Amino acid sequence: MTQTFQNELFESLRLELRRGCLILAVLAQLRVEHYGYTLRKALADQGLAIEESTLYPLLRRLETQGLLTSEWREEEKRNKRFYRLSAEGAVILEQLLVEWNGINDSLHKILEEKEEKEEKEEKEDKQDKQQTQDEEAKKER
Amino acid sequence: MDLLERYLQAVGEYLPGRTKADTLAELRENLLAEMEGREEELGRPLTQGEVADVLEKHGRPVLVAARYLPQQHLIGPAWFPIYWFTLKRSFPFVVLAYALTQAVAWVFQGWKSVDVAAAIAHFPSVTLTFWAVVTLGFACFEYAQGRYFHQVDLSKGWNPNDMPKVEPAQAKRPSLAGGVADLIVSAVGMVWLLAIPYQPYLILGPLVGHLREMPFGLTPEWHIFYWQIISLLAVQLVLKTVMVFLHGVEGWRKGFDVVVQVIGILIISVMVQARTYMVPGTSIGAMSMKDLTTLNTAINLGFKVVLAISVVKLLWDIWKMILSTRAGQKGFVTVL
Repeated sequence: MTQTFQNELFESLRLELRRGCLILAVLAQLRVEHYGYTLRKALADQGLAIEESTLYPLLRRLETQGLLTSEWREEEKRNKRFYRLSAEGAVILEQLLVEWNGINDSLHKILEEKEEKEEKEEKEDKQDKQQTQDEEAKKER
Repeated sequence: MDLLERYLQAVGEYLPGRTKADTLAELRENLLAEMEGREEELGRPLTQGEVADVLEKHGRPVLVAARYLPQQHLIGPAWFPIYWFTLKRSFPFVVLAYALTQAVAWVFQGWKSVDVAAAIAHFPSVTLTFWAVVTLGFACFEYAQGRYFHQVDLSKGWNPNDMPKVEPAQAKRPSLAGGVADLIVSAVGMVWLLAIPYQPYLILGPLVGHLREMPFGLTPEWHIFYWQIISLLAVQLVLKTVMVFLHGVEGWRKGFDVVVQVIGILIISVMVQARTYMVPGTSIGAMSMKDLTTLNTAINLGFKVVLAISVVKLLWDIWKMILSTRAGQKGFVTVL
């Protein structure tokens, strides 16, 4: 596998992994009202940067699906479209969070088990080496 | 802000009229806020180049507009495997239908109209039409489901018990494409045989001219053999057609395969029994008479060899069929 192909593959898998997470983050962040730009900044401040060209159409789509509501309102002498989580969106968000937490816990368990196994193997290896060294030392005496 | 307006105009060209004004107004506000945020960071107004950078980062107008459009596809991922399977499975039948249509046209329009090169050259357009029709059918179905009738859920409505039995690993199942190719070859072969009485050139090539000058010719009995062979080939063709349509019904297919082979053996047997294939002409010498006898013997021997091979092949196939039936019965008992 060439480095370029590996990078492309990683990027594709990373985007796939992020896609669902972004929806969850946007829904969660919109429990408080935001317009496009401030939402993007708020998410970026929390460490989840999203490109504008991805976020703004996503807001439209979530609104079409009934998960968000929006209204045009004047702020600082300019008309802005503010988004907020709808009642249906709140229900779906709760369900998605349960699912997300379940996946997260399972993943942690899987990773912890693997780490424990590796630690155990490492410990056994060390013990074996120590035993061999002791036996060799005894023979020399 | 001339650059921003030009950008919005470019994006607007790809947006539907119904939502265009609303989408562009929102996009303008977001981009202006983006630029103001940048100005706050720098503590000065943005230069033309920096505005261009913000817009470039936002994306190419056509792609930005596409993200605001509903997700569209001709055939979605749920139906694509079925669409692809349909194309693959139907294609051999398209080849068969085309070959048969051409053969029938040649039979009814006379042998002089036979133009194999033209028929082959025309085939890609037939394939393209077939692909277009199938794609259009699936696209219409995809569009209509959910709008005019409920979505068809492919994950339901199947029973694991309906799946075919496991085939022995060593048994090679003949492919559908192979069966169709065999049928086409047989059909073309029969058309060729039917054409020979009218166009001897098809069998003898440039030797037709020399045949008239030769001291011997074909025996009159060839007329009897000829129609016997044609009749048997017609039956064989019908059986092969049935076999193509019985693809997947393994028991019946094997039985038909044996019958087809038996008919083939009958055809060769007719040829073996004939013994005399060429007869002397009016002015034949003693030397030529000897050559003629050798020729007839050689042809007869050739047919005998082919007959022996065909019989061995038939017996071998029957033996394999018996073995596979026994293995199947044993497997059934073990499972029980």
